[in-house]
Amino acid sequence: MTLATEDVRPEDQKEPKGVSFAITDEQVDRAKTVVQRILREPFTRRPWMELAFFLVSGGLAGIGLAFIGATMLTGVVLAITFFGLSVLGLSLRGARGLGRWQRDLAHNMLGETIEEPGPFIRRPGFFGWLQSVLRDRVAWRSVAYHAIKVPSTVLGVYVAFSLWWDAIFGILSPIFWHGDGGPNMWGLAQGIFLSNGFGQGPSSFGHNLGLFLLGLIFLFAAPWVMRGFVTVDKLLLRALLGPDPIAARVRSLEQARTQTVDASAATMRRIERDLHDGTQAQLVALAMRLGMAKEKLEDPDPDQVDLVRVLELVDEAHRGAKEAIVELRDIARGIHPPALDIGLEGALSTLASRSAVPTELNFDVHARPTAAIEAIAYYCVAELLANVAQHAHASRATISCAQQGMWLRLVVRDDGRGGARLSTVGSTSSGLAGLTDRVRTVDGRLDLVSPTGGPTVVTVDLPLSV
Amino acid sequence: MVGALRVAIAEDSAILRDGLVQLLVDRGFVITGAVAEPAALRSSIAQNPPDVAVIDIRMPPTYTDEGLRLALELRARHEGLGILLFSQYIETRYAADLLADDAAGIGYLLKDRVADVSDFVEALERVAIGGTALDPEVVTQLIGATRRSDTLSALTTREREVLALMAEGRSNGAIAHALVVSEGAVEKHVANIFAKLDLPVSEKDHRRVLAVLRFLES
Repeated sequence: MTLATEDVRPEDQKEPKGVSFAITDEQVDRAKTVVQRILREPFTRRPWMELAFFLVSGGLAGIGLAFIGATMLTGVVLAITFFGLSVLGLSLRGARGLGRWQRDLAHNMLGETIEEPGPFIRRPGFFGWLQSVLRDRVAWRSVAYHAIKVPSTVLGVYVAFSLWWDAIFGILSPIFWHGDGGPNMWGLAQGIFLSNGFGQGPSSFGHNLGLFLLGLIFLFAAPWVMRGFVTVDKLLLRALLGPDPIAARVRSLEQARTQTVDASAATMRRIERDLHDGTQAQLVALAMRLGMAKEKLEDPDPDQVDLVRVLELVDEAHRGAKEAIVELRDIARGIHPPALDIGLEGALSTLASRSAVPTELNFDVHARPTAAIEAIAYYCVAELLANVAQHAHASRATISCAQQGMWLRLVVRDDGRGGARLSTVGSTSSGLAGLTDRVRTVDGRLDLVSPTGGPTVVTVDLPLSV
Repeated sequence: MVGALRVAIAEDSAILRDGLVQLLVDRGFVITGAVAEPAALRSSIAQNPPDVAVIDIRMPPTYTDEGLRLALELRARHEGLGILLFSQYIETRYAADLLADDAAGIGYLLKDRVADVSDFVEALERVAIGGTALDPEVVTQLIGATRRSDTLSALTTREREVLALMAEGRSNGAIAHALVVSEGAVEKHVANIFAKLDLPVSEKDHRRVLAVLRFLES
């Protein structure tokens, strides 16, 4: 041990001095890989595909922008006529189509898959069509893409494409350049090197050698510069021709709204059913008994009145009235739990103490959530505790309700047999899927961890306000 | 009444079913069967045919309009069987389906009506012997929804009251009793109504109902 420590120490002490200059084997290997990569790059398929993509996509964008520009100008100038409006509409429909071509190009040439934006939804009639077209965010984003893409292509041609060009002419200059006026070079490279007289004037061996070497350097640099432009292009493609983030948000909100509407319709139906089968029937029977009793008492001959029977009827009616009151109270509690009026903590502790499985509550929330969130939290806990009692075979459960920033985290844990599933409705975990939907309507989430054998932990995150 | 009327009941709410049985037995009816769902009523009627069946509209399995469909089916199968549909709500559309070709032996009442025992029993008896009993609610809705309100406004208030009671399926005697007037006065009102609305005069009460309903619906 001691020896080993001494052996190591001198090196440890040396190391801080040479740390920035010492080249480890690993660094050498890495450098080798990088150099190999640079040397090989021009002879692989990828840079050529990128170059081809750059040219084809840039060309298409140029034509596209010319089309969009021309049609839009025409459309705007003639906008007061049907013809002008049609041209404007066609321009935008065209922009959408051009966007799809660009996506296909990127997919076929770069292997870059960009998700389709939402489909064009057309309203009936000419004006419906026009309105849908003018409001088509996908088309307008494609216009923006073209408007940015074309200048970026021009810059790319000057900076990156010229590198390729100059690389080839530089390399070939010893063969072809034998006169005055300089080789056929242009672009950024020419701007930097040739304007100072290099590569101009009468050719000489020195000049040609220099140009050849420069050409070589350009050849190895060009793929990377080009890649920079293609990468920017890919970002543009994603941002402007992919699915619209706002549209995606709108879609998810629409889904949530549908769920909310469905859920509230289902709730109304359940309440109606409860009232119809319970309270209404109860009250009809009650009125019927009172009606019978009344008719008996109305008998013109008082001696004929069967008072025992009347008392029986009144007694039954009385019992029915009390049952109806209990049923009404239960239904009302299902609509809005009165316990929530005293706050979430009170409501949850009522639930915990009423639960069939011994349940402990930890509550640590300072801000009061909005009423809707409190109600959802309450129903979640009520449903989860009901599940624990029915399915989990648990001996204890805990509810923890804690505030995390602007979020409310509810955790219901039991020591039961586990195996609860979100997808199963009705059998082993009835209502969990419904809860998930309910939680999602306020952008919350529900996580279920329930391995077979338990324990089951359900975590619900809700925003403090919607 | 000649002999006790025989009644079958199909009602899924146990409380109401028991209550109805109690009420009808109390009033001297014979209960041939009290069941909770359509299939059970079919077999009960086949084994022990009643004069009239009281049928809840919402029954298992879907709790929508099982009772109505059962009623139409029973009507086609058992001639002369009176049917009293019994519901928590009134859907005018159901009444139209039921009375499509004939109003004889058909009743459609809100469940609330059992609270007025005598009226309910009277309606049930009417249906059992081939008359009609439409809930005042149905009639009110029809009168409210009719496009013939111009023609209706030609009627006096009393005539409109008579028209409503007529549409419920009541006889002249019953209308006279309800409005506390003489039967002769009612007959005069009825004649006036038929003349003003240009309706074909008919003797049978249930034909009269149909004529009035057709008028209101057209």
